[in-house]
Amino acid sequence: MLLCDFHIHTSYSDGSVELRRTVDLFGQAGFDVIAITDHVVNGETALGKLANRFRFSIQEDNFNRYLEDVVGEGKRAWERYEMLVLPGVEITKSSLSSKQSAHVLLIDIKTFVSASWDFEKIFLEAKKQNALIIACHPHHSSELTALDTLYLWNHRKKYARYIDAWEIANRDDVFNVISLKKYPYIAGSDFHRVRHLYSWKTLLNCKKETEAVKQCIRYNRGVAITLFRNGVPS
Amino acid sequence: MDIFWVVTVVTISGLVVFGLQILAIRSFTRRGREPTGTEDETEFRPPISILKPLHGLDDHLFGNLESFCLQDYPFYELLCSFKDHNDPAYRVAQTIKNKFPNRRISLIVEGYDAGLNPKVNRLHPAYQRAQYPYLLISDSNVMVPPDYLKQIIRPMKDPQTGLVTNLIRGMGARTIGSLFENLHLNSFILGNVCFLKRFLDIPCVIGKSMLLRRDDLEAIGGFRAVKDVLAEDHFIGERIRKRGQKVILSSFMVNNVNEYWGFKKFLNRHVRWGKMRWKILGYKYILELVTNPVLVSFTSWIVEGPSRRALILIASVGFIKGVGDYYVGKKIGAHIHPLGYLLSPMKDLLIGLIWFLSIANDTVVWRGKRYLIRENTVLCPCPEKGIWTWRYRLMDWVRASVAW
Repeated sequence: MLLCDFHIHTSYSDGSVELRRTVDLFGQAGFDVIAITDHVVNGETALGKLANRFRFSIQEDNFNRYLEDVVGEGKRAWERYEMLVLPGVEITKSSLSSKQSAHVLLIDIKTFVSASWDFEKIFLEAKKQNALIIACHPHHSSELTALDTLYLWNHRKKYARYIDAWEIANRDDVFNVISLKKYPYIAGSDFHRVRHLYSWKTLLNCKKETEAVKQCIRYNRGVAITLFRNGVPS
Repeated sequence: MDIFWVVTVVTISGLVVFGLQILAIRSFTRRGREPTGTEDETEFRPPISILKPLHGLDDHLFGNLESFCLQDYPFYELLCSFKDHNDPAYRVAQTIKNKFPNRRISLIVEGYDAGLNPKVNRLHPAYQRAQYPYLLISDSNVMVPPDYLKQIIRPMKDPQTGLVTNLIRGMGARTIGSLFENLHLNSFILGNVCFLKRFLDIPCVIGKSMLLRRDDLEAIGGFRAVKDVLAEDHFIGERIRKRGQKVILSSFMVNNVNEYWGFKKFLNRHVRWGKMRWKILGYKYILELVTNPVLVSFTSWIVEGPSRRALILIASVGFIKGVGDYYVGKKIGAHIHPLGYLLSPMKDLLIGLIWFLSIANDTVVWRGKRYLIRENTVLCPCPEKGIWTWRYRLMDWVRASVAW
């Protein structure tokens, strides 16, 4: 089984660890597949404007450099750790109301996708790029500081057909409703700090190749989740 | 006599010891990795079995294991020992094994649990499967340069040599906890190890890297003889010396990579190590307190409040200690940012407080398990009943509060 984490932020957005160190951290811990998914925020909202102002977001002008860096790190990670690194973004549509907020991971993305577009346009563009679409943390979070992102789940009848998988577990939380509805699932760390390395992860039973990983998630066969721990109580 | 001047005299004595420690470190680093051996000695390349007890994900584990696969040495095997397949380190070791198919790497999974020392429990199965006459015990958080095996084997050419151990250098800190750990390894631990060897000819054995012959280990009772002691490295060294063999402290430094330590881990380790030294040294352990000039200078502030002269003493000692640690760090190539040394006096103060914790009770927590520690660091199972549990709960609460 491949040990995977598809939800990782770096200092390109609001993560505290630089890209290279993040890749090393996961490589040193024996991961097989990771996706770097820094935020792309909706710059039309007040929160988005703030995030863009303080560079907590990937923007159109630095997207290509971000992509090049992730691909470059991917080559290094493959040579050193035999770890597959997929480039991605987290489309971040946040508002003060949790019912209006939604975050979506687009994995193996090739060109910039704006978070100010409507969801259908975003999903169609992602499909065109053959990117994986994952609705992340669609339920209430246990973290007081986290904004809940319920929009996609509340509108799942409309959007579920576009979504390749739902994040059934995020960091330390498990959203069991997804399993009750029998939707395809993955788990991710929502990595922002080093301690988030030890959190929910996905296990995939497939080849360590980009297309095989994407297919495995889409068909949701041979997918398991595991709570990854250090192995040594602190 | 004014108590302030007593404190000042003790502080200056501590600084003198600190100065001697720096001199000792200098003399070791000068020897460095010079080709000390004769031509004959440099050609001495017997096969070595490297025993790696692994448990959990240490910082930089992949790189540490990889460094042992990149050794410029003709014949050696790497034996990685685990308690079970679910250990996250197993995946890392498996990746390393796949990456270096030409290296002789064995992954040993055995739930051997005969002793109370978890490290010895992992070493024993590896030792049983080791094929070569020289055994190198190496911790999982050690990273070594490619000529490490060549360097460590040299003194073994002399049949009188029973054990070779290395100096360690803390590296790679990215958090405050790791920075404290590395500052402590590079000043207090390294300084004392060098000082004891240089001026008192007492070689400290450092379990992170120790080489010995299989025959010698068997003659002292194998790992079974130390399965229930916390300081297994110290007692292996002691028994080798009692057999009339030499224990060599190699000036070749190995790296101890500590990148993302939390503060709790730092505290837990040094309380444990402090208790270990207390149980080995007995009342000599008090000297350790007296030779902590930062802590001693602080007592002047305690006894007479924040007076001008007390503050001058504390500031001067803190400055000297910071500069001294910076100098040592530069000398040994520790790669700690100069600003990191500003925390050096604070670390010493904390270590001074840990000293009191070390003698306050006789329980240790190691890799999540709690033990009672007796004379000579003999471990006993910890009772989990009655008043003991309240004591532990209280201590756990204090630790958690401090770590928070």
